[in-house]
Amino acid sequence: MKFIDELLRELPEDIVLIGEENTRPYECDALTIYRQKPLAIVLPRNVEQIKYVLKICKDNKIPIVTRGAGTGLSGGALPLEGCVVLGLSKMDKIHSIDPKRAVATVDPGVRNLAISEAVESHGLYFAPDPSSQIACTIGGNIAENAGGVHCLKYGLTVNNIQSITMLTLDGQEYKLSREDKGLGLLALMNGSEGLLGVITQVEVKLMKKPIFAKLIMAGFDSVADCANAVTLIIKSGIIPAGLEMMDSFAIQASEEFTHAGYPVDARALLLCELDGDKEQVEIEINQIKELLSNASTLKVSADEAERLLLWKGRKSAFPAVGKLSPDYYCIDGTIPKRHLASVLEQISKWSDQYKLRVANVFHAGDGNLHPLILYDASVEGEVEKTEAFGLEILKLCVEVGGTITGEHGVGIEKLDGMCHQYNDQELSVFHQIKKVFDPDELLNPGKAIPVLHRCVELGRKMHPHNGNLPQPELENI
Amino acid sequence: MNSISEFQHFIKQHDQLHIGTESDNTAPCLNISGYSGVVEYLPEELVITLRAGTTIRQVNAILGDQNQALIFQIKDLDQTIGEVFSCSGAQFSDSVLGVQIINGNGEVMNFGGRVLKNVAGYDVSRMLVGSQGKLALITEVSLKVLPKKFALEFYEGVSESGKRSELDKRLFDGLKKIFDPKGVFV
Repeated sequence: MKFIDELLRELPEDIVLIGEENTRPYECDALTIYRQKPLAIVLPRNVEQIKYVLKICKDNKIPIVTRGAGTGLSGGALPLEGCVVLGLSKMDKIHSIDPKRAVATVDPGVRNLAISEAVESHGLYFAPDPSSQIACTIGGNIAENAGGVHCLKYGLTVNNIQSITMLTLDGQEYKLSREDKGLGLLALMNGSEGLLGVITQVEVKLMKKPIFAKLIMAGFDSVADCANAVTLIIKSGIIPAGLEMMDSFAIQASEEFTHAGYPVDARALLLCELDGDKEQVEIEINQIKELLSNASTLKVSADEAERLLLWKGRKSAFPAVGKLSPDYYCIDGTIPKRHLASVLEQISKWSDQYKLRVANVFHAGDGNLHPLILYDASVEGEVEKTEAFGLEILKLCVEVGGTITGEHGVGIEKLDGMCHQYNDQELSVFHQIKKVFDPDELLNPGKAIPVLHRCVELGRKMHPHNGNLPQPELENI
Repeated sequence: MNSISEFQHFIKQHDQLHIGTESDNTAPCLNISGYSGVVEYLPEELVITLRAGTTIRQVNAILGDQNQALIFQIKDLDQTIGEVFSCSGAQFSDSVLGVQIINGNGEVMNFGGRVLKNVAGYDVSRMLVGSQGKLALITEVSLKVLPKKFALEFYEGVSESGKRSELDKRLFDGLKKIFDPKGVFV
């Protein structure tokens, strides 16, 4: 094929993957219900190779889907038909660490956790910690503006990036820095889901590792009591390093999976981590204990091992729930915290109506919900039912003043949800922004922003069958 | 002039205008410093939504009553939040969660939101930080706030230097056209 020949003319053979077998591992990201084999996968080792891929793709009008580790949950890295997947996982060098300025310069394919490991000896770490941090890459973190359990106190990815170097589709290098005057283009690139440019280098901001941390675990007899405790803590002037909530189903699933010592009879569980200097942490622990007088059980981590064990239950919640069901679907809506109890109650009602079980885990401190809908893709109609249920939840999040996605991105998955959150004029602004950066519309086209047609037709839109989604770039008429 | 509909009308009525408190003599001035006050503030959400004409002094007083503050301290207390928004950089945009704007056609739009985490759509609200009134009229700003003791840092502003490349210019012009196709905001 002429296009592949052109790629191979200047690229080493071992970084170009083609054919049924070789492309299969890249046919989806962590949202596995959607799959599509790309035309080819290129795994460049340097910027020159990326530039070459962009040039050849531009010349041949081949769409490009940039991919990090493929851990995204919204199908952002799902290949498009006839596209090239630009996988940056081989660009994984840490170029420099500057402990004085507390920054490190790294390639886009460096793993999130690898950054913290590399700077640990300086007493530093990279704060954003998505659950996939062992595998996910910094480039992907920026593309999604990834969060994690500690972003209430330490910010999102966008708050922890000093500068990026990116390539436009026509191969121009462009550096964006926090020091820039003028429009906030660095912020714009964060969360742009691979639609505006290709990130080739990143300068991350590092933080001082907290000297001391303790975790309080509190069980409650009702979700409302637990949600109320979240509000009390924030109002008291304490910003916990992490403030997580789980419902009874999630508690039981996690306990069965990790044996962390969770109270299995509780209707809701609160995990509240305090960090900083020891004296301060002890004071805050006592303050919070008083605020949690409504709790049915209360435990403070006795040592580091116990703190990590209690976290392990929460961090394993997804796989733990995954063990109880052939498939699960993770929702990522965010709401103002004051609506936590009522939104949960509604989700529970829908759960009965749809006859689909739901386990709830939340980043309660910032109102980011992760209801996990359990389903079985092999049962006819259940995928559609699950997606309809998910969309109901997202619509509710928007209705109470929240958003359809807090940290996972829109990707291919939440295009319909976007129609509920933004009006046509606002969506049109998004489309035009893409055109300014990518006039050829070859960078991850069709993702993140729904075509206006799609929103118009949403009411009578066809649902995907057997896990095959109609391609989003096609009009849904 | 103190309402969204009046601002819309003013923008639609003019071929060119200057957003600010002082006219620059080339175009009439659209001064919205009277459009002030809290739209929504719930301390437990750590989010405040303000009309753009609210001064830093007012913001500090409102937040101070709840023992909260902006994530950094701004020295010029008479500046409005809209002015700070329009002339700032990343340090300020770290706290920005959402905006309401009126574009050059006089249309009201909303980007971002009033929650701490939101990755739906491009981050237009943070992108507009530093736009200096050249893209749109900022009418409302939602900001992350913190308990007072966390707001230790002083706001530094952005330096005046910085030369613009060809690509900078192309992107700026392209983005301006989206929000202000007729070039009303000068």
